Amino acid sequence: MPGALPVIVRAELLGARNRLVKRNPARLVILAITLVVAGVFLGGGSFAIGATAGHFLPFALDSLLAAGFTALSLLMLVVGFPTVISSLFVGRDLLQLVVAPVRTRDIFAARLMSAVTANLLLSFILAAGVLGVGAGAGAPWFYYPMALLLIAAQVLVVTALQAILMTVILRWVPAKLARDVAAGVAGLTGAALYLAWNLNLRKTFAGRKGGAPDVSNLTSFFQRIDWLPTTWPGHALSATLQGSVGTSLTWMLATLALGALLVAAAELLYERTLLFGLGVFGAPTAVWRRRKAVPSSRPSPQPSPLRGEGVARPSPQPSPLRGEGVPGSPYRAIAVKDWLGFRRDVRRLTRLLPALLLPLGYAAALSQPARSLSGFWSNVALVTFLSMFLSSALASTSIPTERRGFQLLRLAPLTMWQLLRAKVFIALPPVLAAIFVFSVAVAVTSKSGAVQLLELLIFAVWLAAGFVSISVSGGAIDPHFEATDDRRSVGIVGTLTSIGGSLGFAVISIGALALFLFGEQAAAGTANLGPVPSTPAVGFAMILGGLLLLVAGGALVAILLTFANARLRAFDASISET
Amino acid sequence: MIDERSPAVEARQLVKRYGNITAVDGVSFQATQGEIFGFLGANGAGKTTTLRMLCGLLRPTSGTALIDGIDIVAEPLPAKAKLGYLDEEPFVHPHLTGREFLDFVADLYGMARGQQRVDRMERLLSLFDLAQKDGELIGSYSHGMRQKIGLASLLIREPSVLLLDEPTNGLDPRSARLVKDLLEELAARGTTVLLSTHILEVAQALCRRVAIIDRGRIVAIGSMDELRVQTGSEGANLEDLFLKLTAGPESREMIERLLASGS
Repeated sequence: MPGALPVIVRAELLGARNRLVKRNPARLVILAITLVVAGVFLGGGSFAIGATAGHFLPFALDSLLAAGFTALSLLMLVVGFPTVISSLFVGRDLLQLVVAPVRTRDIFAARLMSAVTANLLLSFILAAGVLGVGAGAGAPWFYYPMALLLIAAQVLVVTALQAILMTVILRWVPAKLARDVAAGVAGLTGAALYLAWNLNLRKTFAGRKGGAPDVSNLTSFFQRIDWLPTTWPGHALSATLQGSVGTSLTWMLATLALGALLVAAAELLYERTLLFGLGVFGAPTAVWRRRKAVPSSRPSPQPSPLRGEGVARPSPQPSPLRGEGVPGSPYRAIAVKDWLGFRRDVRRLTRLLPALLLPLGYAAALSQPARSLSGFWSNVALVTFLSMFLSSALASTSIPTERRGFQLLRLAPLTMWQLLRAKVFIALPPVLAAIFVFSVAVAVTSKSGAVQLLELLIFAVWLAAGFVSISVSGGAIDPHFEATDDRRSVGIVGTLTSIGGSLGFAVISIGALALFLFGEQAAAGTANLGPVPSTPAVGFAMILGGLLLLVAGGALVAILLTFANARLRAFDASISET
Repeated sequence: MIDERSPAVEARQLVKRYGNITAVDGVSFQATQGEIFGFLGANGAGKTTTLRMLCGLLRPTSGTALIDGIDIVAEPLPAKAKLGYLDEEPFVHPHLTGREFLDFVADLYGMARGQQRVDRMERLLSLFDLAQKDGELIGSYSHGMRQKIGLASLLIREPSVLLLDEPTNGLDPRSARLVKDLLEELAARGTTVLLSTHILEVAQALCRRVAIIDRGRIVAIGSMDELRVQTGSEGANLEDLFLKLTAGPESREMIERLLASGS
């Protein structure tokens, strides 16, 4: 069918518009504000860094530009991969397009437009930086369109490369699984970059007193890898800045030629993949290899569907609920189901790994020697942050990710209080275990005594119970049961409630702990409270204040749980299959 | 005809509104113990909404839903313990195997653990040809298999009331027949079955009485004979009665018009 491309693109644009129109106007406004603020901060920051480098580091521009393009390519390759897979290889509508008399080239071109979106968004950061370099270095006018053209070409190069990689991966792995793994890898990369920044890179880029940053390592590194295609656009732009038009054109043409070659190859391989239906139209049967359960006593074949008596028996059967064993527990049922689901859901597993990695980054940042916090209070801050972070990662999605299974829980003779309790009890042990290990580790590292470790552990239990309850409540207050992506399963109200509640609880808890510890010292007459006298009366007043704060913290958790219970009880909607 | 047995399912003036749209408008009926009661209607007539109000998934805008005389809104837990609801798209957990799912449901309803439960589970898995799928996650099941595991999850605990929304949807003929036999046997044992379907042959074969819902309102209720009398259509089958009562456009006439406009 000639001209199918505009038809497909129009349909996709219509779908996108409808999705946008269907959204809550308040959320659209928040989204727009977030985008504008992020654009101004990221774009402005990137432009300012580029302009500064362009002005003050003319000797390192080639390496910096090559580094920028390489970093962007790597970032796109990892972070943009899930979008590329979703757009080109996943979706029932793809099946409809393939059975229609439409050229694969048209499908590829149409899908490529949505496949490049994530990569294009990422490239915006580099674009601002590269334009900034031009402004700082006083580049000729044609530097700017050339920069934009080269960035667009780089986006196409990476997207085409991702498509090619997927056509190979799909021979063994179904598209949806590949997308989920790619999303996990993207998250891990983000966390690893963050960790690397805190541990190492920040030092490199932090300005030394009275001098420019030391970029000699970076320069020598990129001189060694300047043959990489990811560095070519950078070389083209730096040649333009140096006035070498011939060199600049050579690198630019090489980049464009590579882009064209990769896009053509991707289209060809995409066509073959669709023709073979590799991993696109239904995954290989997902079989979970486990021990085959052997029934301990095989019932004899029955002629009747239920019991085999054959003849209808009007007398009611003894209820199977009243059997010979111990009664089943809904808590156990939910815990086992969640555990099995967690183990088998690649998306959840891959989401947990970055969540575990990130606190390490913060731990590294907070435990820098320059920190003015004393050992114990530094440990308190670390434990507070870690328990808040882990609780959020493990507990906030615990109810929304029930998805349609939530209806099963609503149909069961189970109150929403029981469900909330079950979810809190399920999420608490792993959070506690992680915090205990972490508390012991930081206490040993900071050479804290046994008493301080005990105080830290008691505080950790209190924090974990509070944060987990708040996170579960946040998810229950604004659940998006239809979200296919766990990260979108809690709405903005739930997220804000969870974050706000957790921060409030953290402040209250640390305040209570401080009042207890300093109050105890004041009661003993050993505290240094500045102008306030260190007397038993002041000490008891402080301990009383600490108790009141504890009650306030408990009340905050109770209020949020009550609100969550009310929201779940009032849930009155159907949940479509996702 | 007045049935002297106590109503196991009762809808009293059930209304459900979504903004200005009234999905269900004053639906009332009773299904007695051991009865298979058919609930018929076209797509979007309000069958699923009514069933979801009866099982407690939806809160009625007004009216009352009673299960064995218990108001499901006022006393949800005892009412829910008595009923089993199968949605047209069964609620299942894709990351569990069939056996694990049955175990989950049994625990959820506090069913005693032990050999009796294991035997029952095995029997149901064999009955629905799912025993050989052990080790396979429900996420990879076909629609028919999901329907079967959904049914098995109801039968494992033998509720006294079954609310089934299109239970034969997506089943192969053998499985569909099995479900029909099962429902008849369950009804004979005293289980009340409320069967929502638009497959009229199934309703005619199984149901002692039917209610026909159209645009949120019940337009007729009774046995086949009573419906024939109500509509003045002697000898008519359920399909004829349904079409007459829901007053849709004559399909043959529409087809002819469509073909004429195309030629």
